[in-house]
Amino acid sequence: MFVLPAVLLILGFSIFPLVTSAYLSLVRFSLGEGGYELKFVGMRNYVRLFSGSQQFHFVGVFRPPGMISFSVMVAAALATGWWLFSYLRGGHRSLVGGIGRLITAASLLALVWLTANTVGHGGELGSLMVTLFYVVFGVALQFLLGLGLAYLCTLPLKGGRFFRILFFLPLMVTPVGIAYMFRMMADTAVGPLAPVWAWLGLGQIAWAADPWLARIVVIIGDTWQWVPFMFLVLLAALEGTSRDQIEAAQLDGASNWRIFRDVTWPSIAPVAASAVLIRLIEAFKVVDLPNVLTNGGPGIATESMTLHAFIEWRTLNLGGASAVAYMLFFVSTIACVSFFQLVVRRARGGQS
Amino acid sequence: MNHMERQAPRPSHFASSTVPHSKSVSLRNVSKTFGDTRVLHDLSLDVHAGEFLVLLGESGCGKTTALRIIAGLESASEGSIYVGENDVTQQLPRDRDVAMVFQSYALYPHKTVFENIAYPLIVRKRAKAEIDAAVRDVAASVHLEPQLDRYPRQLSGGQRQRVALARAIVRRPAAFLMDEPLSNLDAKLRGHMRAELKHMQHELGVTTIYVTHDQIEAMTLAHRVALIDKGVLQQLDVPARIYSDPANLFVAGFIGSPPMNFLRGTLANNRFEAEGLTLVADVNHHGEAVLGVRPEDCMLVTAADGEFRGHIYSVELIGDHSLVTLNVGEQQIVVKVSNMFAGEIGMEVGLRANRERVYFFDQRSGLRIRQC
Amino acid sequence: MIRRLFVPARLDEIPIGTRVIAYGLLGLWTLVVLFPLYWMAITSFKLPIDVSNGPAYVPFIDFKPSLDAWHYIFVDLGPDTFRPYVNSLIIATFSTAAAVFLGSIAAYALARIEYRPPVAAVGLGVLMLAVVVAAVGWGGVDLRIAVAVCGAFFFLLLRPIIRRARRHFANDDILFWIISQRILPPVVTVIPIYLTFKSIGLLDTRSALIITYATANVPIVVWLMFDFFASVPKEIEESAQIDGATRFAILFGIVVPLVAPGIVATGLLVLILSWNEYLFALFLSTANAQTLPLLVAAQNATRGPQWWNMSVLILIMILPVMLLTLTLQRFIVKGILVGAVKG
Repeated sequence: MFVLPAVLLILGFSIFPLVTSAYLSLVRFSLGEGGYELKFVGMRNYVRLFSGSQQFHFVGVFRPPGMISFSVMVAAALATGWWLFSYLRGGHRSLVGGIGRLITAASLLALVWLTANTVGHGGELGSLMVTLFYVVFGVALQFLLGLGLAYLCTLPLKGGRFFRILFFLPLMVTPVGIAYMFRMMADTAVGPLAPVWAWLGLGQIAWAADPWLARIVVIIGDTWQWVPFMFLVLLAALEGTSRDQIEAAQLDGASNWRIFRDVTWPSIAPVAASAVLIRLIEAFKVVDLPNVLTNGGPGIATESMTLHAFIEWRTLNLGGASAVAYMLFFVSTIACVSFFQLVVRRARGGQS
Repeated sequence: MNHMERQAPRPSHFASSTVPHSKSVSLRNVSKTFGDTRVLHDLSLDVHAGEFLVLLGESGCGKTTALRIIAGLESASEGSIYVGENDVTQQLPRDRDVAMVFQSYALYPHKTVFENIAYPLIVRKRAKAEIDAAVRDVAASVHLEPQLDRYPRQLSGGQRQRVALARAIVRRPAAFLMDEPLSNLDAKLRGHMRAELKHMQHELGVTTIYVTHDQIEAMTLAHRVALIDKGVLQQLDVPARIYSDPANLFVAGFIGSPPMNFLRGTLANNRFEAEGLTLVADVNHHGEAVLGVRPEDCMLVTAADGEFRGHIYSVELIGDHSLVTLNVGEQQIVVKVSNMFAGEIGMEVGLRANRERVYFFDQRSGLRIRQC
Repeated sequence: MIRRLFVPARLDEIPIGTRVIAYGLLGLWTLVVLFPLYWMAITSFKLPIDVSNGPAYVPFIDFKPSLDAWHYIFVDLGPDTFRPYVNSLIIATFSTAAAVFLGSIAAYALARIEYRPPVAAVGLGVLMLAVVVAAVGWGGVDLRIAVAVCGAFFFLLLRPIIRRARRHFANDDILFWIISQRILPPVVTVIPIYLTFKSIGLLDTRSALIITYATANVPIVVWLMFDFFASVPKEIEESAQIDGATRFAILFGIVVPLVAPGIVATGLLVLILSWNEYLFALFLSTANAQTLPLLVAAQNATRGPQWWNMSVLILIMILPVMLLTLTLQRFIVKGILVGAVKG
């Protein structure tokens, strides 16, 4: 049969390892004579991540709670509560939908709580938050830049073709290569931008030693690589917008901004949502950039969850590594499925 | 045709949708070039206020381009456009006070019918109450009230077309521009909508410029028809005269179904001669010419009684009439006869034509040679 | 006055003010795209002293270009450079071929044949898998015995389940499941895969990576090729069927030529993904099956930032891909778009 080989492969290399990984996350790995030994320890690996010795690594360090974090929490709780409530009162209710939204709401609240309590003075981000930072800000930045560039390329300017081919380039460069390229560029002493840093008075700052600067550099590298993807997809979507509708709006008297808001944006919404979803799925897996660019440093400041798992594995903590990997799996699945249900579905539904 | 002219209507007092400020529209020496191709040649037209003018021609003749130039969606390479007294040649579409109904309707798919119709007013920042009243008023006049909360994808083709119309009406523009609005409808609906459009234009009294390739639409809807071929205006006249007094070969052959018969021959000494026929022609012209006569202006008689003769090539029963194709020399002529006609293929018959309905055209230039 | 700059002078033209800003922004981004690549290219021609003296921007003016680094990488390190290069080539080519082949067949089947696996049967399969894992890990049962026993159970119970099954999965569900494999972070599966290959003795071999990459990329191939296959009108195949062709003949003789651009685009995409892949190579290879990304990453560990040598390495790593892409970019764009826009 045709499908069978593909299905078997996936079974063998996805489902089987998936289940095995789950099991591994529940054991402790130790090297004995002649081989290794796996001892079942239940949820201990997970507990260590969240509140045990690995808490600083995964969740982060908590800062002393203050008024701001408290009020942010309350506001978020109220907002999510209201959202859930209006869903339950609305027309299209279903058990699966309700449970799904509950999970999404709970995750969102946990996220807000985490953000409020690790960001800022006195707190440190763990790999969970760092990964989310990369995902949210990275994808948002790539989307905005991609949209802007695509829009510019739809204007009747000379050289449009040239720009399109050119902007496509970064997508083809190996991520490891990109990491080194940017490391070279960001060198404050001998890099090409050294004169700029000196002029700005930042010449002595070693970005690699500051957690936030290091994270920003990672995002810069990530953005450089992925903007072309957004650019291509959004350009195609923009060019697919019905010219008749735009002209009708022009005749109706709408300004360019209004036309974008009322005609173009709704037209590209489904494609844009799908593109963002694809990018989200990939963004959670980022590992080459933080590994090569900053080696996860300073300390663990730029470690994504995949990198975190790799480091655990290198120290032969198979159980811990699997636990982190599974957490990544949960988080990315919840995020992606939520995004799909709430955003992509709605964007798709609005079109005739 | 019984009546010779249709009057442009006086503005009626139809609810509050009357457009008191309907204006004239003029094209003065407009030319348009796309790259190397000249699409419009020195086109000049004056559309009177309140008039229904149809731009008629085949695909690619430039009529849609002319419409889009009036709308401001394309710029004229040469010439100027006037709406009323204003030179709008350099103005953006939204400043010209014209509304357009697109062939594809161009409805906004994610807005309800109400929001679609209201859009021109929303963009002009009118008061909410005013918008509401205006939209409901217009919706009532096109019978769309029950559909106001629906989305375009839930409507039929005819309903969508009415939404597009309503959106144009609600602005009370100086002129309507319509780009083949009926071509996406099926034949039966098209006939119905033709009547609706005619009625609506009469009630509203808005200057309307209507583009189509369908001569039936042109003849039934227009106060005047502008026939365009390859970017050049062929004739601008009321439908009756377009039909009965064509200016050239193109006009004569375009209007009329079945189309006018053309016979090639020579004019000399007040006589038209072609193989198989000779006809007295009351014209002062010498040279190669074309004789034109409509199928319905011919009559079949016995071979002896005819002005000229031919052999029957085929007989087609249409329903209420039949069409007989005759071989006259090397050429063919089609004649409309009663559905009781009982001729056989190969039979020799004679032809008589209504003298006043025989036209002569110069073969080279295509221009009509008029009787003295 | 400033306003006037942004109002179009003629109807079809863009106002000057807008044009300046647009070109400015586009030019800025062009610089952003090209500068890092340019910098890396010229660095590969620099001597160590050129680099540590501070930034030198233009060859021949700021510094004297030399082929030292290139010489070092290709000659001094010769075999150490060629081995990963050849590895990458072989692994990428073979895994792409396998993935495209298997994935296309699966996509074709999903586009044409109706599958209806009963929900219960799938559940049973997963259950048996879990039992195998638990038995081996917990109870210390030998892998082969566990597989044999569970396999037997599965097949025994399959018949009655199929007969009584009421809820079924459809093609759409299968497609969704295959595509959702992408969400799975590879790091979750990499450790068990490592253990598996270790126990078979296939660690640090090219075959391991070929198999792994092929598996990881099959979902993408299925996802992209499904739309291509679905767009082939059924009538063409039906007329071939009437003419007496077998399914294989129809697939290879008629359908494949029609979707050839799709195959090229998908193949290119997968090739690039395999060429650039880092994580699995990191876990599964050390010396023999080292791929280019690993080589580049390893430089850091052994020698510290020797930018000039690194630049050479990175250049030879990305040049083939870039050249291939530039020549065939039209296909890739279409491929990505079909998947993104439809999927």
